[in-house]
Amino acid sequence: MSAVTLSPAPPAAPAQPARKASRWERFLASDSLAGWGFASPAMLLIAVFGVAPIVWSVVLSFQRNNLLSQGTWIGFKNYERLMRDPLFAHSVRLTVLYAALFVPISIVLSLLCAVALNRKLWFIRLYRTAIFLPVVASTVAEAILFLWLFDPYYGVVNVALSKLGIPQQSFFQNPSQALYCIVIMTVWGWLGFSVIIYLAALQGIPKELVEAAAIDGASRWRIFRRVELPLLGPTTLFLVVYLSINALQLFDEIYVTTRGGPLNSTLVVVYYLYQQAFQFFDAGYATAIAYVLFLGILVLTIVQLLIGRRFVHYRS
Amino acid sequence: MEAAARRQELLPEIGSLETEAGEGRRRGLSAWHLFLVPMSLLMAFPFIWMFITAVSTLPETRRFPPSLPHAIQWHNFIDAWTTVPFDRWLLNTTIVAVASVVGNLVFCSMAGYAFARLRFIGGGTAFLLILATLMVPFQVVMIPTLLIVRGLGLVDTLGALIVPNLVTPFGIFLLRQFFKTLPVEIEEAARIDGASRFGTLVKIVLPQMKAPLATVAIMTLLWRWNDFLWPLIAIQTESRYTLPLGLAAFQGAHFTNWPLLMAGTLMSQLPMLIVFVVAQRWFVQSLASSGIKG
Amino acid sequence: MNIGSRRHAVAAALALAALVLVFAVAACGGSSSTSTASPSGSAAALPSPGGGGTVTMWHGYTDVERTATDAFVAKFNATNPGFTVKVVFAGNNDYALQKLLTALAAGKAPDVSYQYGSSMANLATSPKIVDLGPIMAATPGFNWDDFYEAERLATTVNGKVIGVPALVDNLALVYNKALFDKAGVAYPTKDWTWTDFRSAAQKLTDPTAKQYGWAYVNDASEDTVWRFLALLWQADGNLLNADNTKSEVNSPQGLKAMTLLHDMAVTDKSVYLDSGNGNYLNLFNAGKVAMLWTGPWDLSSVNAGVQYGVEILPADVTHATIAGPDNYVLVDNGAQQVANAWDFVNWFCSPEVHLAYCIATGHLPIRKSETTLPAYQTYLKKYPADEIFVANLENATKARPNIPTYPKISAALGQAVQSVLLGRAQPQQALDAAGQQIDSILAAGQ
Repeated sequence: MSAVTLSPAPPAAPAQPARKASRWERFLASDSLAGWGFASPAMLLIAVFGVAPIVWSVVLSFQRNNLLSQGTWIGFKNYERLMRDPLFAHSVRLTVLYAALFVPISIVLSLLCAVALNRKLWFIRLYRTAIFLPVVASTVAEAILFLWLFDPYYGVVNVALSKLGIPQQSFFQNPSQALYCIVIMTVWGWLGFSVIIYLAALQGIPKELVEAAAIDGASRWRIFRRVELPLLGPTTLFLVVYLSINALQLFDEIYVTTRGGPLNSTLVVVYYLYQQAFQFFDAGYATAIAYVLFLGILVLTIVQLLIGRRFVHYRS
Repeated sequence: MEAAARRQELLPEIGSLETEAGEGRRRGLSAWHLFLVPMSLLMAFPFIWMFITAVSTLPETRRFPPSLPHAIQWHNFIDAWTTVPFDRWLLNTTIVAVASVVGNLVFCSMAGYAFARLRFIGGGTAFLLILATLMVPFQVVMIPTLLIVRGLGLVDTLGALIVPNLVTPFGIFLLRQFFKTLPVEIEEAARIDGASRFGTLVKIVLPQMKAPLATVAIMTLLWRWNDFLWPLIAIQTESRYTLPLGLAAFQGAHFTNWPLLMAGTLMSQLPMLIVFVVAQRWFVQSLASSGIKG
Repeated sequence: MNIGSRRHAVAAALALAALVLVFAVAACGGSSSTSTASPSGSAAALPSPGGGGTVTMWHGYTDVERTATDAFVAKFNATNPGFTVKVVFAGNNDYALQKLLTALAAGKAPDVSYQYGSSMANLATSPKIVDLGPIMAATPGFNWDDFYEAERLATTVNGKVIGVPALVDNLALVYNKALFDKAGVAYPTKDWTWTDFRSAAQKLTDPTAKQYGWAYVNDASEDTVWRFLALLWQADGNLLNADNTKSEVNSPQGLKAMTLLHDMAVTDKSVYLDSGNGNYLNLFNAGKVAMLWTGPWDLSSVNAGVQYGVEILPADVTHATIAGPDNYVLVDNGAQQVANAWDFVNWFCSPEVHLAYCIATGHLPIRKSETTLPAYQTYLKKYPADEIFVANLENATKARPNIPTYPKISAALGQAVQSVLLGRAQPQQALDAAGQQIDSILAAGQ
């Protein structure tokens, strides 16, 4: 952790009562005031548009409410029902499995791609743009494409597999395979996001450190492992936390492809709660699901940040 | 002397580890192209497909498996532009996106810096609270958000799309991480020399943050540009639609005009791609600002 | 980061608690504001239309339908100076419910909104959705019985009529004549039975050419369920009992229907299982699928080169089909607004006007009297296939239960059908599971 030293008190102005002025001046110059000053525009906006709606909708989770008529207060019944709901437990398992696959694969792949793209080559700008394209493409276009490629009857992937002697697979229509197809689709779709963040981080690694290590005789791989990787720690922490938060809230890609199916094999938590709110008109229950999910993500994030605090080194 | 000679020996090795702004460009074909070209094609696939669809006729797009069109229907691009108020929507989307990017760059820098460098009471909790707002799906909070926006009198205006998005937890978190990787000695030196915190931030720190700032700008631009669900419920007048909302005009429940939809979508994504290509220059570390000097 | 510091934690907790209190109070106050307006449609004491205001109508029409809707609204505005109708494209109809719910909750809803029939039962619970029954009764010449029975069933919830039919359709058999010719199979007729249908599908399936006899939407959504319901009703079965308290789908008739699906999809392998993205139509255009059970909305997407025919669905006991009516619901934004909105909607679905709309769009008539008008012949000439669809409306004698728990029931049944089609469950097994789930849904109620 960086040790921030307060700047020394300003040189004492002549003929000023020393104690009273310096406390006020110290306060004005303090980190606390500066900290709040710098952060307050952001915090105000987030308080109004981020925190307030969340707190507001917590109330909904204690009601039976279909968003059309007056809700009835039912206390913790929604939460009790959640604990006994096998479909909710199933959705949690699916979501955790998805995130456990998506996050590590994304980080490893994107780091490799960033390293590959972090060099002087002809057309490097084009390659970098190419890897970012899936992030730009709309989820709908992405979905249509993947559904076609993996179509059980006419898809290109099955054609290729058949040439290798592997029988036709149903992919998105197979309850045992659909979730893994979603993993592939989303890793592909989000890769560019992690890559540009790693690229930005790689730019920040001072050349001197790398050169010094090379001069000392370290191999390229060792340089990567011992010099660059640790310096990428803060970025990796960011990606682990941010990608986890997003992965656990997977929705859009499910909505445009499998809609929770086949046979609930892709029924992730947010899709389940969307069904409850907008298909089954039970917004109270949906909100309760959201807050249990929220608590889970919060706990996970705190754990990740605490681990990060221990293992991630910031240069100071 | 010895070090310099050793350095000469290792120049090719070092050269391959250097970033793009290093000395001397690599000449000739590298084996990396063999990997990067197929990877790029794979990544670019949806856009290639979108383009093929955009230049096909409607009946050609209604066949499966898809095939190449007989003739290139360039007029689809013109039709997508003229049959709907495309230019109006493009203007709206640009205003919303640019305003959000500026807001984010300013406010997220300030807040990220505060959380990275300044110790203040409640700072840790505030940061966690900001992160926590990422942990609730939008579908759950969209109605209360709409009520708040309505209370502020912003419903059905571009303000409804800009104001809630002037700051994102993503920007704050990302910049905080990057601020923390910078060596603090330079900032301390500046403070000792009498610079204000704000001055230090703007003149000393931010110039070293070109790549992360560019990243925040790009992602904010992307998310505001492609946002569909919030504009869907916040905007009711067609003349105030953003592009994704407007393009939905080509997409009915039973019938989708694929060529026009894809042509319109491609045209709407073009500005973002241009921005991305241009922004690459900030992903290049300038020699002068790297490392610790003096 | 100081998350461990105790003093900070206490300060933060207090702040959060204060925030919660403030907003809990606000939210409780806020949620009751959805029911302040008393339904003004209850008495026939609506003011006369006029007053110079604006009636806002939300719809999801695109392309030809949208151009037609805009044109008709313009025509109404030109001939009715009393008030103006503003027609707004509100996005794909799949989002129509979400958008209306959000708008109602935020207090800024339109006056008229196009909604799917499946949303009716739940929309009826909102005090802001106008009960049109008394208004219709008080409107001379409206003639509610002129509308087809399936539509009337779809808009009536617990005796309240909460929508005016906007669109009606039904499922019929659409087939590719060229593929039938090539396989030497006789075209479907009015007297086809399930046996004819199944054997034709078998003959029209060619694995090497990747050609299938039939396509079925298998995404466990309403699209999956409503085709099954047509089969169930053809076997003379029922989904629920007469007063919607118990399921009746797990019956010999239900088993017959489910077994047909199993036989065709799993045993014969003559069915292309569509994953819900509408690919079946593209395959139909490409000559890869020979028969579809679909509605008139898909006809405009059939490519010019494809020769197709339309016939009523095959029978087991009856040639039952299922109708999918969509409606315009009116929102109570004040008595004058309701009066104006009603004036417009009444005009829009009057026989002559709606028939003209059908001629422009290919929609089916929503009133029986439209088929007696002289312009009807023009309509048939322009859309010859629609003749069967219109006649088929007489076969839509049963409707889906219009109860708030229907979406959950549909989900349960959808899972059952999907599992059978994928070969993951035997028909009886799937029906047992579905029957049990439906009964517990009905018992839990809403």
